[in-house]
Amino acid sequence: MKILREILLAMLLAGVMPAAVAGQYETIDYFVQQMIAQAIAGDDTGVQTFREQLENLSRPEAGDAAQARLPQQQGQDQFAHNRFKEALAAFRQAFIANPADPDIAAQLGSTYLRLGRLKEAERLSVYGLSLMPAHSAIWLTLGQVYGQSGDAQRAAGAFANAYRFAQDRAQLSERLRQLSGPDNAAGVRDGASQALQAMPSAARPAADSSPSPARSSAPTGASFTAAAAAPPSAPATGAPLLDSLKRGLAALGQPPTATTPAPHVDGAANGDNPGQRIYRRSIPLTCLIVTLRNGKADNLGSGLLVSTDGLILTNDHVVDRADNLTVRCGDREATASVRRRSKSPDLALLATSLKSPDSFVLNASYSQNLIGLDVFVIGNPYGLEGTFSTGVISGLREIDGVRYIQISAPISPGNSGGPVILRDGSVIGIATMRLKDGQNLNFAIAAADIVASGLFDPARMKSRSTQ
Amino acid sequence: MGDAGRMAALALAVWGAAVTPALAQDSERNRYYVQQMIELAASHDEQGVIAMQRMLEQEPRPTATDPAAAAAALQRGQAAFRQEDLNAALSAFQQASRSDPGNPDAVNYQGLIYRKLGRLTDSERALQLALALDPDRAVAWFQLAQVYGLEKDDRRALGSLANTYRYAQNPMRAEEILRNIAENETADSLRNAAVAALRLYRLPVEPAIVPPLPSNPGIVPMDAPSEPARAPRPAPTP
Repeated sequence: MKILREILLAMLLAGVMPAAVAGQYETIDYFVQQMIAQAIAGDDTGVQTFREQLENLSRPEAGDAAQARLPQQQGQDQFAHNRFKEALAAFRQAFIANPADPDIAAQLGSTYLRLGRLKEAERLSVYGLSLMPAHSAIWLTLGQVYGQSGDAQRAAGAFANAYRFAQDRAQLSERLRQLSGPDNAAGVRDGASQALQAMPSAARPAADSSPSPARSSAPTGASFTAAAAAPPSAPATGAPLLDSLKRGLAALGQPPTATTPAPHVDGAANGDNPGQRIYRRSIPLTCLIVTLRNGKADNLGSGLLVSTDGLILTNDHVVDRADNLTVRCGDREATASVRRRSKSPDLALLATSLKSPDSFVLNASYSQNLIGLDVFVIGNPYGLEGTFSTGVISGLREIDGVRYIQISAPISPGNSGGPVILRDGSVIGIATMRLKDGQNLNFAIAAADIVASGLFDPARMKSRSTQ
Repeated sequence: MGDAGRMAALALAVWGAAVTPALAQDSERNRYYVQQMIELAASHDEQGVIAMQRMLEQEPRPTATDPAAAAAALQRGQAAFRQEDLNAALSAFQQASRSDPGNPDAVNYQGLIYRKLGRLTDSERALQLALALDPDRAVAWFQLAQVYGLEKDDRRALGSLANTYRYAQNPMRAEEILRNIAENETADSLRNAAVAALRLYRLPVEPAIVPPLPSNPGIVPMDAPSEPARAPRPAPTP
């Protein structure tokens, strides 16, 4: 095992694996929406996971902070006097000077909101969250954007995150009470009410301390209060809040959407959400494959155990130049030999001595009903062993007579040959390729084609069809 | 651009690659590719733009005759530019280009200075050369858009702004710059081009000037009061 790690490290240092690609707005928005969906679902771990994904995106180049300072101050003055058009001009100037400052992005987004320009407010807020995913004030603005757009559920999720990341939670809950007042748009009101209901009782204000409608309608600059934002290193313990949020949503009779699955009752508390469950079960069955050529490490990829007697499925392109193969599945390591291989579909079946009480089940479904289903990918991108990512089935494609499942889950070199898993734990495909210039346009050979191929051995491998 | 249009553009590109060397200087061929990038960008033909970019990138680069002298001249030019001594800066950048004709910075600065001096044709030529050397240089695309805006060439201003956004290192910053132009620029061509570029990418914008509303028969003309004139309201007291 130590040797394998050294090989991996050497490959990393030798620059075999190129650097990751920066994300664009759509990628950022995906992670932000996932943070909202996870907040609504009461999945604390999920929120933190996608927050980390956001934090791992490459940062924009730093701007000229000195040049941005004066227009930013002017913008704050104008905003405080409700001169929002003038504030917009000033904040815009500040943003152009220094687009890497999350506070400026937050202020510009908030000004757009005050001007009723919701699309711009959303874009600036989403972008701002890529700079600082735990910026409470930006989440608050985003909640108002969604609320004013009539989407109370997303508003509630964004408000929940505003609360989660708030440094001064009393101030934040006061602001939410104002937003739940009758003078606000219905979506904002409902979203804020749901978030308030979700708060731990200790943080919830007593009934007699509720502000009067007149007070709640008074304009405030709460979106700008830096005190409401906690540094990224100070995550909130959100389980009670999120449990309450779930109860609030249930009381309002709003069913979870496709992207916000019904929450497990105590999922956030014991870490047993679907992703974690799949990860725990799948990680011992997912393999790292390192190929050797002329005595040197040459390539690496992923594979999956498909039989209890040690058969591993992977892509042919992972092993096609190898003189020797080493695999590690879970914490066990072995040499491997190629049992069968096929160029089209791009598959190889390896034989090892790794007996296992469990193995993956191939799901031979292949129909339009699959599109939209959640998928989970495990593999070893760039040698980062056991990397877990999520996405959805985006489409079905047939390329050169081979059926592929198109997925949005991120994959990179090193993922090749790894399993693409459905919520029920079955394998719907094998991660194989990606569109280089695309954003998460990735492809897995459909398990249906694996089952139909000569590599499948029904006596030793399991398959089923659910669609 | 439809399939037929794309085919025509590709055919034109092939023609450009195969035929123009015999007819024109390299700079003319490069100018042709840059113009194609503008036209295809204005048509929102991403593949076409990338195809032209690749053609430019495959062009042989002029080699520097004296890199040290070029670097020194470039520094002198930047210092003069900061002092707003445009003629001295221009002279230094021209010298930098002579010593290193493949340096995009030197010609990019020349394009900027020519525009500031009002020499739009020279500015366009210099910026096109900068883009031929470095086709994904967003700042040069932006400056070229300004030149076309001043020349009231709406279409080419649009294509250049679209490429500004396409190649921007920070697309959100570029988006905000475009919105700023779309809402505040006084030159009609550039303002209209910015609005069109934002719409091309389906980005939100609130144009400063909106088309006139259709006439509403319910509105009574000012000179035909429908009810007796009232006494003016008193002004509010401070």
